[in-house]
Amino acid sequence: MNTAFHPADLAGIQVRPSRLWTQSLGWILFAVGIALYAQFSIARHKENPEDRVVPSAQQLIQGIKSAALESAEEDDPVDANAPLIERFSHSMLWKDTLSSSKRFLIALVLLIPAILLGLHMAVFPYFGALCLRFVTFFDKIVALSLLPILFIVFGIEEWSKIALMVIGVAPTLILDTFNIAKGVPREQIVKAFTLKSSDIDVTYRIVLKQVLPQIINSVRLNLKPLALFLFAGEMIAATDGLAYRIALMRRHMGMDIILPYVLWVALLLFLADAILRFTNRRLHPWYQPL
Amino acid sequence: MYRILSGSRSLSSGILAAVFLPVLLFVLFCAPRAYAAPPTFTVGWSVYAGWNPYFYMARSGILKKWADKYGIVIKVQRFDYAASLDAFVAKNIDACTMTNMEALDMPAAAGVDSTSIIIGDYSNGNDAVLARNNLSLSQLPGKPILLVQKTVSEYLLERAMVMNGLEGQLPKLKLLNTSDSDIVGAYLGNKGNQVAVTWKPLVSEILSQDSGVKPLFDSSKIPGEILDLLVVRSEVLNRPDGSGAKFAKAITGAWYETVAQLTGSGPDTAKALSGSAAASNDTVASYKEQLKTTFLFSSSQSAAKFATDAALKQKMDLVRQFCFRHALLGQNIKSVDDVAILYPDGSVQGKKERVRLRMDATYMQMAAQGKL
Repeated sequence: MNTAFHPADLAGIQVRPSRLWTQSLGWILFAVGIALYAQFSIARHKENPEDRVVPSAQQLIQGIKSAALESAEEDDPVDANAPLIERFSHSMLWKDTLSSSKRFLIALVLLIPAILLGLHMAVFPYFGALCLRFVTFFDKIVALSLLPILFIVFGIEEWSKIALMVIGVAPTLILDTFNIAKGVPREQIVKAFTLKSSDIDVTYRIVLKQVLPQIINSVRLNLKPLALFLFAGEMIAATDGLAYRIALMRRHMGMDIILPYVLWVALLLFLADAILRFTNRRLHPWYQPL
Repeated sequence: MYRILSGSRSLSSGILAAVFLPVLLFVLFCAPRAYAAPPTFTVGWSVYAGWNPYFYMARSGILKKWADKYGIVIKVQRFDYAASLDAFVAKNIDACTMTNMEALDMPAAAGVDSTSIIIGDYSNGNDAVLARNNLSLSQLPGKPILLVQKTVSEYLLERAMVMNGLEGQLPKLKLLNTSDSDIVGAYLGNKGNQVAVTWKPLVSEILSQDSGVKPLFDSSKIPGEILDLLVVRSEVLNRPDGSGAKFAKAITGAWYETVAQLTGSGPDTAKALSGSAAASNDTVASYKEQLKTTFLFSSSQSAAKFATDAALKQKMDLVRQFCFRHALLGQNIKSVDDVAILYPDGSVQGKKERVRLRMDATYMQMAAQGKL
């Protein structure tokens, strides 16, 4: 039943906004943000037409063009008349994305053992007793402060950055997996044993199977810390990568490149999150979070 | 029941606070404005042998003496180097210490018209290319080189290659952008890192901890190219009420009094040295060692002479060409002449209508003539 909209509804709990309302309300804050930025930028450009701190739309478009279509400074120049795809594949944006994604994916893969560790800690009491206190302690270590040690152990190139990401995120993920797996009712495990399950069956076919969707959600929440550690590593020592470029551009206030990069990173993280969410729903249609 | 009551009580006190706090803050911050406050200027500085004296200058009361003489207030604030430049470009501070290179590629290239009023010193060995295993410059291509890219470190490395006839090898250098906070640990921790370019005191730290590391090239071979300046926003300097000029006179006067103490031999020298060393938590011995490779213009005469010398233009040209080659002047700057430099003799390097950096010797000359 569609009743007329009443202003008092805005503060009500018992209301059901129409589709049109929910769709359009979602964009309002974006519009406000863009408007505030534009106003700020216009004001600054009125005072100083060459302002680089809050670039204008024109400067941003120019920045996006040079980031996505011109070859990186350290690369050979590419023909300006080449097809767009070829120009994009030589651009600094693409090269930086590739090298950052590589690090990101390797770190993600290396987090799988962390998940299994948490699972085993929850299921096998002796193993849990051995690891839990140490992991809880290690979780409180601020990974960034270990960086000088990581440089010495892993060298300054790829592995120290990946190690930083894994060390930063793994303990949290282990503890989260541990807690989630502990939440599986004891009765189910007893029941499985009465049906002649082995230890391995219980671990992987009873516990892991039903906690996996929650673990994937935990990984989704950890994507941002992962990106944060990747950025920290790339800003401190790197020859390529998204954060490397941002660090370089900061040296001369290249906000016209930095802002598109920041939005691009946000989009990539959003996509990674969406892929995990989609996979989760396909793999576990029975899992209905509240 | 009790919890609900106490909850609502704290809520009402919260509302009270929310109403009265802004009022209180308003009264606190606006009341002093009722008086005619003297014009206030903020100078940002960052840790560096040639800039540490600003800390001592403010602590010792020399600055206050000069500021009082001109009826103004000068505040001195310490920043990280990059943050000080950001604050200067964002117009949060009025003056800032920076190298000639950053003066070009940060404020000037961002359209903030800037004037250098004091040439404090030049790096005379403070910046160095370090290498292990007795490598020579011609062996650098292909080896990872640790440095903070797009700074004087990269400039020094390029100059080293060019001066040794290795210009063609430049594209083959493999640069590894490494933050200055971690470069010492990263370089010393791994023998595979053979080359690093950095500045003092980091250079001294590396050399003292690893005897296998040798300096290959340092800034004493390019004297006067890496300048350390005090830069003021031109709009502040040229304020119609004249307060900007008063500020320039006061800080220049205070600077040369401080430097005279620092480089002299009187009883104040020890105090000035320890006061400046304290600015970066250095020992006096370490600070003295840094000063040895810093060519501090000990008198306003020598600084003014350097600023008005024709050789300055050639040196600045090398720096601005470097900035342009590395797109440090902005992605959309199509010509090196778009960020022009004005010299004390009135000549302009670049397009006359696009002067962004002014090398001003006026105040150094006034100090030299004792007119401050």
